[in-house]
Amino acid sequence: MTNIEIGLWSFPVLLAIIFLRIPIGLAMLAVGFGGTYIVNGSTLMTMGQLKHLVFGTFSNYSLSIIPLFLLMGQFATLSGMSAGLFKAAEAWLGHRKGGVAMSAIGACAGFGAICGSSLATAATMGQVALPELRRYGYSGPLATGALAAGGTLGILIPPSVILVIYAILTEQNIAKLFAAAFIPGILAAIGYMITIAIYVRIVPESGGVLERKPYGERFRALIAVWPVIVIFLMVVGGIYLGIFTPTEAAAVGAAGTGIVALISRGLTWKKTGEAILTTASSTAMIFLIVLGAGLFNSFLALTQLPQTSAQWVSEQGYSPWFVLTVVLLLYLVFGCVMDSLSMVLLTVPIFFPIMSALDFGLTPTEFGLWFGILVLIVVEVGLITPPVGMNLFVINSMAKDIPISQTFKGTFPFVLADLVRVVLLTMFPALTLGLVWLIY
Amino acid sequence: MYRHIDNSIGWLAKAMALLGGTVLIALIAMTCISIIGRTLVPLGLSPVKGDFEWMELGVGFAIFSFLPWAQYARGHARVDLFTPAFGKTMNRMIDLIADLMMFAASSIIAWRLWLGMLDKKSYTETTFILQFPTWIAYAAGLLGAVAFVIVSAFCILRSARNLRGSTSDQY
Amino acid sequence: QDVTLRLHQFLPPVATVPKHILKPWATAVEEASGGKVKIDHFDAMSLGGRPPELMDQARDGVVDISMTVVGYTPGRFPRTEVFELPFMMTDPVGTSLAFWQMVEDDFQSNEYKDLKVLGAWVHGPGVVHTKDGVSKLEDMAGKKMRGPTRVINDMLTELGATPVGMPLPAIPEGLSKGVINGTVIPWEVTPAIKLSELVGKHTEFSGDEALYTATIVLVMNKAKYDALPDDVKAAIDAESGAKLSGFAAKVMYDYDAPGREIAVKNGNEITVLDEAEVARWKEAAQPVIGRWVDDMAKRDIDGQALIDQAKALIAEKSAM
Ligand code: NA
Ligand code: NA
Repeated sequence: MTNIEIGLWSFPVLLAIIFLRIPIGLAMLAVGFGGTYIVNGSTLMTMGQLKHLVFGTFSNYSLSIIPLFLLMGQFATLSGMSAGLFKAAEAWLGHRKGGVAMSAIGACAGFGAICGSSLATAATMGQVALPELRRYGYSGPLATGALAAGGTLGILIPPSVILVIYAILTEQNIAKLFAAAFIPGILAAIGYMITIAIYVRIVPESGGVLERKPYGERFRALIAVWPVIVIFLMVVGGIYLGIFTPTEAAAVGAAGTGIVALISRGLTWKKTGEAILTTASSTAMIFLIVLGAGLFNSFLALTQLPQTSAQWVSEQGYSPWFVLTVVLLLYLVFGCVMDSLSMVLLTVPIFFPIMSALDFGLTPTEFGLWFGILVLIVVEVGLITPPVGMNLFVINSMAKDIPISQTFKGTFPFVLADLVRVVLLTMFPALTLGLVWLIY
Repeated sequence: MYRHIDNSIGWLAKAMALLGGTVLIALIAMTCISIIGRTLVPLGLSPVKGDFEWMELGVGFAIFSFLPWAQYARGHARVDLFTPAFGKTMNRMIDLIADLMMFAASSIIAWRLWLGMLDKKSYTETTFILQFPTWIAYAAGLLGAVAFVIVSAFCILRSARNLRGSTSDQY
Repeated sequence: QDVTLRLHQFLPPVATVPKHILKPWATAVEEASGGKVKIDHFDAMSLGGRPPELMDQARDGVVDISMTVVGYTPGRFPRTEVFELPFMMTDPVGTSLAFWQMVEDDFQSNEYKDLKVLGAWVHGPGVVHTKDGVSKLEDMAGKKMRGPTRVINDMLTELGATPVGMPLPAIPEGLSKGVINGTVIPWEVTPAIKLSELVGKHTEFSGDEALYTATIVLVMNKAKYDALPDDVKAAIDAESGAKLSGFAAKVMYDYDAPGREIAVKNGNEITVLDEAEVARWKEAAQPVIGRWVDDMAKRDIDGQALIDQAKALIAEKSAM
């Protein structure tokens, strides 16, 4: 076998191990280790690397943003801000047809602005919004579908852990990536609300409405969520304006949400301990995957597969748009069964060199930002597509009376909304890049 | 007897995670103080010396100390697409294999980290700004890495017992 | 061919060092060996890890050859630091030949004993790049500056600035965020990070001596080198050592000019400190040299002797 063949074979082997339910990070470590052994005929290289690679990965300044954002999300959950957000959204949207579900989306978008993870957003907003949705007679599919989709706003709206990883892998500026993600994130929220409006017209019995609130009450409810606005402006605004580095912004955001949680008495000793344990578990999970991907990608580089495949694709003379479509479809297919973080870590080192060699009429920086947002959206669709969609499971576990098949059904229109958005953003890069051009 | 071991291991994993979390919170406070100091340089304040390095060293320690808890609490991401198709025994077998692999991985990580620490110690290598000896940071990480090995070893026992059917806390 | 060697380094393939130094060198070695050896290039840390790990990657056989900045592993190569002391470097080629000479005669057998050093050189004169300009010593006070090595950070502190440690690619973001107000690097590096668009003021030093330089080495795994067939070893030796070191320094120095040209075209302000002002900087930097000598004494190294020897060799090699 040539080295290239070894590299190609490693993918089916890795997927087989992952589908056996071996932890993903561990599977990547094992295949990276084994693959390097096959190429070199000895473990010398990997064993030497491991002396410093683990410590180096864990103590990387850029990556230190991840535990900080995760802790921030935990504090946000304890702060009670989620209930305020939902109330404010209800005051503005609740009287429309399907308004309570739209409010849940609006609240998810607000929570996404202070939380960098989809699962935490889905779990937190699910706790607040699901009982309300059921109370107003929303059907099981619509209630759980809307919340599962709304949860993805946690990642689509900056700050976002996946974008941090993408930025590090492709050496993009995190602040610019967050700016690029902003309009697509808002579009996602609007798209989900339109989806709900259409849904309740087709299935009229699926949800009730609240009475229209006077504007005084609406603004009072909006003002009540000022901590969310302040924290978002501090974190994302602070990064845009160049007051601090993204890692510092995450620390400031964690401090801000922690203080709000403390004042609202959500931060008892017991709750703080639980928040730390949840952060610990998710952080360790992410870093095991990052470590595994590090070893796996170093093995792939050794086989020269990334360069060779980039060269091969450019020699075929395919249209750039055709290649982009194929790549995005591949993400959608794999997203049905894979987790989004490991998909990004595994595929971006291969796809990015291939894609950036093609001409889309954009500068290298513009292309890097635009492609990053497209990848972000397609991997996030994976969170709400069966059979493996983490957000579906999180929300469904909160609604014991709704079978998972009903949740799958309810999510389908939202997946369609995602696909429409991907097509729009692919066709009009200005939607992604406009804000970046404006700010920088 | 097994309950007793389970409780102690759980306690160890939790204690390490809480220790790491405390360090994380301390780093948050340090960063806020440093930003205030940097903003108020005209008033004679200054940023915390080596703030970036403290962040790197502290988060490095925290992540090592988070590993045992993620393993104990079965927190690692997996794809359970075929779980229903495999059946009970097969699934428990896979659990055992995964735990054996994790034990191998944790042992190799701890062993190599130890060797890396010895290297750094013999080179008297330091960080740029703080001139903090690198080997001490490695040694701190080793604390979590060794706890990770211990917890991983226990997890083998746990899944072996599950396989024999002594307990039924899964599936 | 008989032997394939893997060369790992941290710069992107288009950068000066890989493109104009390492690749031509590798081709020369391949030709000198009559095709018996092939050198595979792995740029931009593609085999994993971070730049500070490169030294150990060569030592532990993770890769066969690596190029790295010695200052990335502070404290580990104390003798080498003599060339990084303030106002030590004069002509880059002469300084590099002196550095190589001392590696060959001395350092290879102590601090590089776990490695085979193939080349040892320094970059062109270090220049101060800032947003609000430095035209006298006092302007350094309170500035947050990114420095590349331990010795240079100590010098920045001594001059009144606050050193901030960050990798080279982080400089643009650090500047735009106000985390740093400036940096010291040679002109050669500035185009890659578009520095001349980010800062408008540059400060150079008149006279023979440069404010500072950083040391760079190309190192090989010792066991791998020792196990090479004699003719391959000879081919590598013929293209390495003094030949490679002088060549590398010359190439890096040559690429200072286009970097400076960009700043000039951009309308940036380039201040050249006159001899009287430079003398004040030299005076201010004295304690750094004193501290370094004391630090060497703690390690049973005669720092002053190294300084004298380096200075004599630099003068000798520059005159050649
Ligand atoms: Na977010
Ligand atoms: Na999915």
